[in-house]
Amino acid sequence: MRTLLLIVISILLLPLVVRPAIASEIWIFAIFGLALNLLLGYTGMLSFGQSTFFGSAAYVAGWLLKHYGINVFAALGVGVGVGALSALLVGYLCVQRSGLYFIMLTFALNQLFYFIAYQWTSVTGGEDGMPGIPRPSVLGLSIQESYWYYAFISLLFLLSLWAMKRIVESPLGKILQAIRENEVRAEAVGYDVPRFKLLAFVIAGAFSGLAGVLYAMLFGIVPLEAIGFVVSGNVVFATLIGGSGSLYGPIIGSFVFIWLSESVSTMWARWPLLLGVAFVIVVLFLRGGVVEAWTRFWTWRSSKQTG
Amino acid sequence: MALLETDGLTKSFGALTAVNGVSLRIEAGKLHSIIGPNGAGKTTLFNLLTGTFPPTSGTIVFDGKDITGTPAARIAHLGLARSYQRTTVFPAFSLLDNVWVAAFATSRPWKGLLFKNAHEYPQVVERARAALSDVGLLSKAEVPAKQISHGELRQLELAIALAAAPRVLLLDEPAAGLSPDETRKMVALVRALKGRYTIVLIEHKIDIIMSVSDRISVMHFGSLIAEGTPEEIQRNPEVRRAYLGGVAA
Repeated sequence: MRTLLLIVISILLLPLVVRPAIASEIWIFAIFGLALNLLLGYTGMLSFGQSTFFGSAAYVAGWLLKHYGINVFAALGVGVGVGALSALLVGYLCVQRSGLYFIMLTFALNQLFYFIAYQWTSVTGGEDGMPGIPRPSVLGLSIQESYWYYAFISLLFLLSLWAMKRIVESPLGKILQAIRENEVRAEAVGYDVPRFKLLAFVIAGAFSGLAGVLYAMLFGIVPLEAIGFVVSGNVVFATLIGGSGSLYGPIIGSFVFIWLSESVSTMWARWPLLLGVAFVIVVLFLRGGVVEAWTRFWTWRSSKQTG
Repeated sequence: MALLETDGLTKSFGALTAVNGVSLRIEAGKLHSIIGPNGAGKTTLFNLLTGTFPPTSGTIVFDGKDITGTPAARIAHLGLARSYQRTTVFPAFSLLDNVWVAAFATSRPWKGLLFKNAHEYPQVVERARAALSDVGLLSKAEVPAKQISHGELRQLELAIALAAAPRVLLLDEPAAGLSPDETRKMVALVRALKGRYTIVLIEHKIDIIMSVSDRISVMHFGSLIAEGTPEEIQRNPEVRRAYLGGVAA
């Protein structure tokens, strides 16, 4: 409850601190992070190709928005559907593998999708991206104005967070964590592990797809990078920095990552150095990311007070 | 009638034949032990029975149905549950969640799999608590598994198998690495389970075997060399040579 309040307050205050476009991007990226964390944090699968689903959804929904003028809800539905479907395809090929092979396979298939987007210029615009994506109104209310679109995204983010919370607290969430904890035993007690991994993959793909459509409508363009490995890497990065051990870690990660990349990059071109340092610190000392730093700080404080 | 039966079960890893033509009959409701020196193929036999890998040849029949080659995830649903020689639990989970996961797997229907809260399955929770209570760990239900002692982990290991409400329990050295005191507790535990389940037990500690078993099969270099009641096994000269060896001869 307190966490929810904190999130709502952040949603309200954020546009006062940063431009609405960046504020919007933070919540979009947070949805994307929630998706990745279902795989990374909860199931123990490092997907290094999550932009496949983000990008595919952005392209397909973007194209339909541009050429057929579909409404907002259809666009979101298409995004979620394309995300899930592409994840089903990729996941089917990946979940039988584990460890490094799994990671490399998600990466390789990501590259495959990237080069399809790169080559298929008549649809995707190749390197120039796919511009001119409209932002249709929601039930007669225009969301052209950036603050209105921000409100729309915030609402969808809260909805996604609620849905993801339900999922991780459901039996499925427990089963996925059991797979993370001990795959052999999970199989032995009666779970078809590859099938559950695939299910996790499809759900994560659906959320990634939602993030992809929102991204396309935010900037009115799908750049080729949206389906590239840098975006795949960024979401892993952000999630790890925020903390993959908790539901809220990726949200914090998204905030840190987008805020740094948008604000600091204008002041200092070598800003990724900062991220690199942050990443090294997380890997060496703080496996639980910012969330762990926070809890450690509070236990340290309370132990000082009582002692 | 035998509840679990193997016929000519063989498993080869390249040139090594770990299990060689094993024909076993496990009677319902009995405690059937499998003994043998290290490397005799006992654990490999368990891995075959629980579908970890398929046999090279031979068949496994459970309750009149041929289950040879059935994958591990399906075996649990048929009513065969195992514990591991090397503790195999879910470390970050509380003890209750450890057994909850096993209890849920074999409970049906899975309505609300994706959105119902995991605590909203009273029957599953009840079954999980019963399994913990059976091994005497109910008071630690909320403690994470990584914080309990080795002896308790061995009890948890057993509870996970029990939570599946199996018909046959396959216990792989439940007393592995336990102190004499803990071993006594474990033996009492196994004895209490006797009669409630059909139990197949692998064990090294010969005194345990002799005191709890209804029947004993002796494995040596992948093959069965003897089978009988504890008294028959103790008298069997071939067993004394192969297994009891230096101690009894």
